[in-house]
Amino acid sequence: MANVLFTNVRVFDGSGAMPFSGEVLVQGNRIARVGRGTGTSGIGGVTVIDGAGAFLMPGMVEAHTHFSWNDQPTLDSIQRMPVEEHILWCAEVAGRYLDMGWTSCVGAATAKPRLDVVIRNAINKGDIPGPRYLAASQEITVQGGLGDESPPHLPFPELSFGAIVSGPEEMRRTVRQFVKCGVDSLKINLSGEYITGLPAELTPFSDEEVAMCVAEAERFGKRVAAHARSCESVKQCVRHGIEVIYHASFTDDEALDLLEANKDRHFVAPGLAWLVTTSSHAGQWGLTPEVTKKMGYHRELEIAVESLKKMIRRGIRILPGGDYGFAWTPHGTNARDLEYFVKYLGMSNMEALLAATAYGGPIMRMGDVLGQVREGYLADILLVDGDPLADITVLQDRKRILAVMKDGEFHRAPEVRSQRTTRWAA
Amino acid sequence: MAEILFTNVRILDGSGQMPWAGAVLVQGNRIKQVGRTPASVSAFGATVIDAAGATLMPGLVEAHTHFSWNDAATLQEIQRMPVEEHVLWCAKVARRYLEAGWTSCVGAACAKPRLDVVIRDAIDKGQIPGPRYLAASQEITVPGGLGDETLPHVPYPEFSFGVLVNGADDMRRVVRMFLKYGVDSIKLNLSGDNFTPHAPANTTWMTDAEVAAAMEEVRLRGKRCAVHARSAASVKQALRHGVEIIYHASFTDEEALDMLEEHRDRVFVAPGMAILIAMLEAAEPWGISRARAVEMGYQIELEAAVESLRAMHKRGVRVLPGGDYGFAFTPHCDNARDLEFFVKYLGFTPMEAICSATQYGGQIMMKGNELGQIREGFLADLLLVDGDPLANLSILRDPKRLLAVMKDGRFVKAPAIAAARTMGRAA
Repeated sequence: MANVLFTNVRVFDGSGAMPFSGEVLVQGNRIARVGRGTGTSGIGGVTVIDGAGAFLMPGMVEAHTHFSWNDQPTLDSIQRMPVEEHILWCAEVAGRYLDMGWTSCVGAATAKPRLDVVIRNAINKGDIPGPRYLAASQEITVQGGLGDESPPHLPFPELSFGAIVSGPEEMRRTVRQFVKCGVDSLKINLSGEYITGLPAELTPFSDEEVAMCVAEAERFGKRVAAHARSCESVKQCVRHGIEVIYHASFTDDEALDLLEANKDRHFVAPGLAWLVTTSSHAGQWGLTPEVTKKMGYHRELEIAVESLKKMIRRGIRILPGGDYGFAWTPHGTNARDLEYFVKYLGMSNMEALLAATAYGGPIMRMGDVLGQVREGYLADILLVDGDPLADITVLQDRKRILAVMKDGEFHRAPEVRSQRTTRWAA
Repeated sequence: MAEILFTNVRILDGSGQMPWAGAVLVQGNRIKQVGRTPASVSAFGATVIDAAGATLMPGLVEAHTHFSWNDAATLQEIQRMPVEEHVLWCAKVARRYLEAGWTSCVGAACAKPRLDVVIRDAIDKGQIPGPRYLAASQEITVPGGLGDETLPHVPYPEFSFGVLVNGADDMRRVVRMFLKYGVDSIKLNLSGDNFTPHAPANTTWMTDAEVAAAMEEVRLRGKRCAVHARSAASVKQALRHGVEIIYHASFTDEEALDMLEEHRDRVFVAPGMAILIAMLEAAEPWGISRARAVEMGYQIELEAAVESLRAMHKRGVRVLPGGDYGFAFTPHCDNARDLEFFVKYLGFTPMEAICSATQYGGQIMMKGNELGQIREGFLADLLLVDGDPLANLSILRDPKRLLAVMKDGRFVKAPAIAAARTMGRAA
């Protein structure tokens, strides 16, 4: 593995400190040295990248990823895709995330039982390019809940992206089935979702079922993540020790107190882009603001913003990512979340960047080696043309992300300046 | 439209004429101009590749490709691979073929119903890199024939890479299913194979009624049929029914050879010699000693095949390279060995071997008038080779000697520039 010295870069290290001019030396897959100034010399055998003042930062971590959502306007379209095309789609999308600077992703649910696991394994084997990935199960849900897409006269499980269970024993069987597949986490849908005709404030699972899910997951050392929009479902998460909470739109003082009391254990990834864009930017797919207002999304967005602001004030970790993979939230545009964190939740650019990096390491369960530019940490590094601390939207522009390094290797190497038209076959 | 000029190249054009020093201009996805001298083509604004005398030749065509065979030592291993992994495997193999200089491949059969079709579509969409590809069905076979991998007590079709049919009506149903999936060709296993001792190479399994039903459906839909035919009876059966692509053809008699010669403008033979040779010489590490291979019948079959194929070659029957790479002892992308085997065993000249992989290749891809040769107006599938394949065919197997691969006017593998630099500046 080649050693690389980034010189003449502004280092944003993910510690919370302001960036400084300096150098970063990568040896193998680790960051060997982070220095201020440009004093490094006498290192032989390294590739030197003169960053010309570019912004060097840790690779970003997406906390709520669905590779298998297929950039279509309906949930139904997800399962119209046969498994063969679906796995190629996931492989393509995995490459796209890495391309856009997401060097790690937390799988939030997969549409067919093994898609996430197979993609994770293929990435780890080096068969396909992609981020570090934690593989999820399908969404475990109830009859008629979010994830059950089968009409009454077509009761075929293949039509649903969710796995439907009824009662603790079915939950046990289903969890074990996914554990057999090799998932890193189980996904459970603890609340409704307006687009499916179910109120976000619905909480359909019994505590017995949730307890079974968590107990079986723990038995096998797996993690649980929950789709939890309703206040009651957020409390279910804290009561049952569900570590990763997606959405958390509706809260009350009790829910916030519970979260705050357990803030070192939980991660909240709200998937704000879904609420924002579904409310206001999905008109060309028939979801005009009038329609989505009637559905309930406008009210939910307002309430979610209030809930999330309170969580930030209480020190609860809010992370970017979530529900990209629809026509109006296409994969790869995920850095919009950082913009929304600033715009809607009042985060500073610094806080938004830390949410994507410093909090990302811990949600990947690699907090002591990932998410910061520090000596000894894994070399997941972005080189950005511009200053995200001044303009957070530069991270949405592929051209401004000059280089992406994962595990010490360039997925995208910085372009060299000179272009030549005459080549000499060596 | 982007133009690329290859100058200072030795052009081996795939027509059979000896190479000459010249220049080739590519515009878009086509060959625009072929020059008889290095300086005869000028193109202002083109990217110029000075090849310093390297050989420029048409991309190779594999006539008998199984992307879904997974480089394992047994047939059972193929179906131990779940469909998700299998698709990714095929995608990876497709890329490797292209990078190895095989710019076109004729799918010979896939292991699960839709693997070939999905890979072809993904290549055509530009989603994954791969050769031009004609997608095959699974191997259609009969209970107990080659392709039936079920055990008596485990009778599930998922265990078999073949699809089992019984009778003409069943054949029709299965062929229609594959046509629905969008295959370019239907594969029938007319003979057995020495790899499956219960159904050896010299046995013939399908009824004429079954073959006729398949051919009727194939013709109705304007598709093609390819057959696994090792026995003389199966070769003749294929020819009687008008099958265009005959794989193996190891055993023949005078009648079979006469029929092949009579239909030589229509028929392609891709023998897949590598597996016969590998079983005898290279399968020991996987538990098949030479003695065992001889006992399985491979020595007899190789001798018969060499005799049959020499006779076909003399009679002007088109014999093409490729076939049954994808086993542990014939791993994917070693396929250019076939050209050496054609010279060594069948008496081809190196030029004939090259033409079988290029000019005949264009024809089996059903694009004989625009693929497989370096001619003005032809599709720009080109290889730049360091050395002279006519003097040493084995350089085609050496990735380092393959300086560049172009498919459809675009570099899959671009020629390296002479100057390497360790200092990069972020632009």
